Amino acid sequence: MNIVKKLIHFNEGLLLESGSKLDSFDLMIETYGELNKDKSNAILVCHAFSGDHHAAGVDSETGQVGWWDQIIGPNKAIDTNKYFVVCSNNLGGCSGSSGPTSVNNDTGKVYGKDFPAVSIADWVNSQKLLSDFLQIKKWHLVAGGSLGGMQALQWAISFPDNLLKCGVFAAAAKSSTQNIAMNEVSRESIRKDVNFFDGNYIEHNTKPKNGLKAARMLGHITYLSEKHMDVKFGRKFQNTDSKVSGNVDYEVENYLQYKGEKFSDSFDANSYILMTKAMDGYDASANTNGDLEKAMSVIKCRLLIIGFDSDWLYPPQRGKDIQLAGMNANVSCTYVILPGEQGHDSFLFAADKYDEIINTFLES
Amino acid sequence: MSISLTNIINDWIPDQSKVIDFGCGDGSLLKELIDTKKIHGYGVEIDSKKIQECIAKGLSVIQQDIDDGFEEFESSNFDISIMASSIQCLKDPHLALRRMLKLSNKCVVTLPNLGYWRCRADLVFGKMPVTPNLPSSWYETDNLHLCTINDFEKLCEDEGFIINKKIFLNPNRDRSFLASISPNLFASEGVYLLGSK
Repeated sequence: MNIVKKLIHFNEGLLLESGSKLDSFDLMIETYGELNKDKSNAILVCHAFSGDHHAAGVDSETGQVGWWDQIIGPNKAIDTNKYFVVCSNNLGGCSGSSGPTSVNNDTGKVYGKDFPAVSIADWVNSQKLLSDFLQIKKWHLVAGGSLGGMQALQWAISFPDNLLKCGVFAAAAKSSTQNIAMNEVSRESIRKDVNFFDGNYIEHNTKPKNGLKAARMLGHITYLSEKHMDVKFGRKFQNTDSKVSGNVDYEVENYLQYKGEKFSDSFDANSYILMTKAMDGYDASANTNGDLEKAMSVIKCRLLIIGFDSDWLYPPQRGKDIQLAGMNANVSCTYVILPGEQGHDSFLFAADKYDEIINTFLES
Repeated sequence: MSISLTNIINDWIPDQSKVIDFGCGDGSLLKELIDTKKIHGYGVEIDSKKIQECIAKGLSVIQQDIDDGFEEFESSNFDISIMASSIQCLKDPHLALRRMLKLSNKCVVTLPNLGYWRCRADLVFGKMPVTPNLPSSWYETDNLHLCTINDFEKLCEDEGFIINKKIFLNPNRDRSFLASISPNLFASEGVYLLGSK
């Protein structure tokens, strides 16, 4: 599979929902497969909260496998022999697109905590500029899971003429109170890290690693189901040779410690706060006084909504809410509920016919 | 070859109406109604494999167990709800019918007739009926609540459902003379257009 990684600079300004303006910005993207002559085979995939532009294949530098590699690739559900797949790192992220770790041209210094607040609608607007740049008038499919699923839904609302199909997986039309609460605990652990320096840690040549690590450990608990955790780790003790620290007793502790540590090495704390705020702030019906049906009445594409039974972070009922509002608004929308052994993370894996259903939708 | 249900209920479905098909199976009926009547159609189905066939046809389908209720659809303003050859598979057929008539003024219901003479003959010879309308053996069937035409019409009377139209069919889905004069004995299938008082 041909993986092309590109940093695209946009000179046009982007007015953000918050009222701030970015005079210019960068988007880091990856593409897979070839765009056909009439540019009708393009698919945009939107990453989840901590994901990035690397959606499929193995990165030649880091050796890392893309976050949706089980779904995207040659002869996979989203077949790169047939489709041209694009994934971009969201604005405010820390994997190459403009965000808190980029340099602010006005000051010559790194943005840090001063990077403006971004929203899911802002991401969609920036991706619309990306589609114009790539000369793609209509995406065959815009899809994503979790935060990426919310983004896909927003695409269908913001630019109804520019996509044919939309896949919303393990997502919701707005974050729940519980989602916001979990995110606030994560943010609090970052803010209370002695190395946070009110978000100015880069100037102090340090980073709030401990806070970021604890935040990620909490996050990981919410991504898995109780059953899956039990099956994967049980109450097994961690092997002494492979303990990440002396404090660890159980395998599940070791797992969380390892994942948290790895994440805190690579992710930026200000980005974490920005991204979780974007997630909390999302409400597809914000511009229609809370009326989701009205918000969705503009949709012209077909929607495929998938929820997973074991997902307690974005339970399937949240997907059903989208389906119902869509049906009330006479939008073509399908709702499928799958067992999904892996909790919220189920949207990442080709199991339970999930990949087959995506493929059937794509080819229909 | 049997005639499709679409031809039989064609006149009952206005063009461009909003239709929900409970137990839509592979979505054939919905697809035909969309092609011929330009309806806004939604299907409800529990089986993932059949749902996939619906998705392949480009249909809108909701994965749901009808027995769990569907009050949430009442705000969708459906013109017609359909339940074709599924009513006998439900835990509570009478509740499903009540709910259907709450969400649309018109309901199309089709059901196999256990009073059909071939079913009776099978029973006379001491075996569970297996006919073109009831093709599965007793241990494989999804049917929980089979009834006769008379049973069904008695239920409608007791529940206050108005039978606006009815058509009785033989196994070829033809409207035979015998089925029309003595449906409880000669119809293998009943097709009803119900309304509420």
